[in-house]
Amino acid sequence: MASSVTEPRPSDSSPAAGAAAEPGETTPPGKRRKGLSEKNRPLWLLIPGGLLMTIVILVPLAMGIWMSLIDLDQYTLRQWVSAEFIGIQNYIEAALSSELLRSIWLSVSFAVISTVVTIPLGVAAAVVTQNAYRGRAVVRSIFLIPYVLPSFVVASVWRTMLQPDGIVNVTLTNMGMDGGLWLNGPNAYWTLVWVEIWAAWPFIYLLALSGLQAVDHEVHEASALDGALWWNKLRYVIFPYLKGPVSLAFLLATLNHINNFTLPYVLFGAPAPSDVNVLPILVYVTSFQSFRFGLSAAMAVVSLILIAIPLFIYLRAVRLDVHEGGKK
Amino acid sequence: MGMSKPRRIGTIAAAAISVLMLAACGGSGGSGGTTSGATGGKVDGTGKTLNVLMNVTAQYPQEQQAWFKEMSTKFKAETGADIQWETFATANDEMTRIQTSVVSGQGPDVYGLGTTFTPTAYSTGAFVKLGDNEWNQLGGKDKFVPAALGISGPDEANQIGIPFVSRPFVMAYNTELLAAAGIEKPATTWDEFTEHAKKLTTGDQYGVAVAYKDNFDPWKYIWGMSIQAGNPIIDGTEVRLDDPITKKAYETYFGWVTTDKVVDPSSVGWANPQALAAFAAGKAAYFPMTSPLSIPALDASAVKGKYKYALMPTVPPGETSNPSAGKPATSILSGDNLVVADYSKQKDLAFAFIKMITDKDVQLNYFKVFGQLPANQEAAKELATNEVIAPALESGAKSVATPFSGAWGDVQLSLTNVVVQSIPDLSSGAVSDSNLSQRLKDEQAKSQTALDRAKK
Repeated sequence: MASSVTEPRPSDSSPAAGAAAEPGETTPPGKRRKGLSEKNRPLWLLIPGGLLMTIVILVPLAMGIWMSLIDLDQYTLRQWVSAEFIGIQNYIEAALSSELLRSIWLSVSFAVISTVVTIPLGVAAAVVTQNAYRGRAVVRSIFLIPYVLPSFVVASVWRTMLQPDGIVNVTLTNMGMDGGLWLNGPNAYWTLVWVEIWAAWPFIYLLALSGLQAVDHEVHEASALDGALWWNKLRYVIFPYLKGPVSLAFLLATLNHINNFTLPYVLFGAPAPSDVNVLPILVYVTSFQSFRFGLSAAMAVVSLILIAIPLFIYLRAVRLDVHEGGKK
Repeated sequence: MGMSKPRRIGTIAAAAISVLMLAACGGSGGSGGTTSGATGGKVDGTGKTLNVLMNVTAQYPQEQQAWFKEMSTKFKAETGADIQWETFATANDEMTRIQTSVVSGQGPDVYGLGTTFTPTAYSTGAFVKLGDNEWNQLGGKDKFVPAALGISGPDEANQIGIPFVSRPFVMAYNTELLAAAGIEKPATTWDEFTEHAKKLTTGDQYGVAVAYKDNFDPWKYIWGMSIQAGNPIIDGTEVRLDDPITKKAYETYFGWVTTDKVVDPSSVGWANPQALAAFAAGKAAYFPMTSPLSIPALDASAVKGKYKYALMPTVPPGETSNPSAGKPATSILSGDNLVVADYSKQKDLAFAFIKMITDKDVQLNYFKVFGQLPANQEAAKELATNEVIAPALESGAKSVATPFSGAWGDVQLSLTNVVVQSIPDLSSGAVSDSNLSQRLKDEQAKSQTALDRAKK
């Protein structure tokens, strides 16, 4: 493991690094080198990307924020430029007299539960398919099935199975249990979590697998020489390697769960039962069934902020946004 | 400050792009286009292309493409213009199209709209209001079934919707099952309907097939029973969703599961196609809230030759005749309207197209291929002799339009939501009075807020 760190890395021989090491360049001792690379970097090269980002992300974001401040609905849509500016009234309405806060709570709790359950599943599946054995390719393919199925198909199939007279309830009845209602009422929340877990764990599996494959062969050899048994090896040698990929998986998976619209929409329809009135459904109904575009924009902005705060803290905590060596 | 220059360039570029985008989006709004009345005369559309957006007919995709082709050829022969067809799958898809078109001032010239969606479209103010001139271009108002005009606009002077097809609701009944139970005629009041349903429920056969989980069916029952008892739900500036009349409608509708037990308990999870399947399998005697569109499915099923359509009951629950304020509505006014976009630069061509597809022969052919009833009066008369669909035509003539308000979408959502949130109670066997009252109160408040916005 140590050898890989001391070996020259490809990035060390990059032109920037080379320029910084030019003998003509004087750098005060003790201070971090600030070579040519940081002074006269050709930042204008970023313009194409920057323009694209402006058009694709910043302009819509700005328009979204602006929409949240005006009284935009079906009546004002046509003259949207002159729609009345109403300040934070949409925000007040979203927070006080809509389902927004409850929906955010439902969405976030559902997303976190789904992620927390899928991580051990995904990592376990990755470990199981790490070593070569007969039939491993088949197992790996089977593991990917839920991931390659479109969300719409997954939701339709589960909706059919979970009908009051569907196959799940018929099976439960045959086993002497009462299935009850899965697609409405308090169970609906757990149905959503269950189906999401079913559909999403291979994502964790994929990232964990990539983490495992990054473990050098020598590491396995060294731990074998040290006599580490499988659990100790896994716990103290292999898992540390997975910290990065799995942290990233945690982040991406949680955001995907929060943003998943298709699954609850197809499973439960709109208007959704109150136990699964998650954020995307609420925003959708407000926008496209009540046509309150301003209000739904405010909801989207509030949820963006509420989700961005823990996200930021998490990013700092797991240092995903920081390069090796602590340099940003 | 070596970096400030590129950054400034970037900022300026971004600002310029934003301004351009805003200008592109907002640079319409105005009317534009010709409105000259080409009354009677032929419209010359040589070299032009008319853009038409219509509902996709999921049941008959190939037939629809063939129909598009046929109409394009016919239109080309009549006007010299081409047609570019586009389709949408759901009302939400369409609303998205309308939004972008309304905001950008460009898009389809002609839109097909569901009837209940017409008030929402009207509230955007983006469609041509039909004056005498326009009606003349279409071949006159008399050309259409009068009831079909009921949801073209808020009043006679402000109409935007031209009726295209009609899909009135009726109920199907199993003639064998009714005869076996000694019932001679299908029910005409909701009380009688429930009585029949009780008689017809034995073993795994149920009196009625109802789709409680459908996204649209439930509100049509509740609205129908309410208007029959004199509550139009939107009454001037008031929403009357928590009215005792409407509560009674919910109690009746829920009672079929909870107290009368005349429906399959599983139907709390059914959408309309599942209820249709139950009826088609001979497991239910009555199947309300269906339309002639179910003919192909029923003719291919176990009940072929053993079913008929009839009007749904028109007397509200608990009554033997309609109260004075009540209307004997057989169905919501259901079907498709066509509207012409205000921003269209070829309105004459658009009206020529609509005239063409609302003419008798085209409408009769459309019925033959797609099973949708004509809005053209002569065509409808010709079909009235067809025994199977005669009840549907009668239902169309006696249907009542839902309130013409931009807030109707919200009210409809609220009416449905009461049922959605009551499904766990329905499943457990009882919807308590307090739960129902609370839900009605909540939805009343939401709908009233929506209506207040509509009146601003």
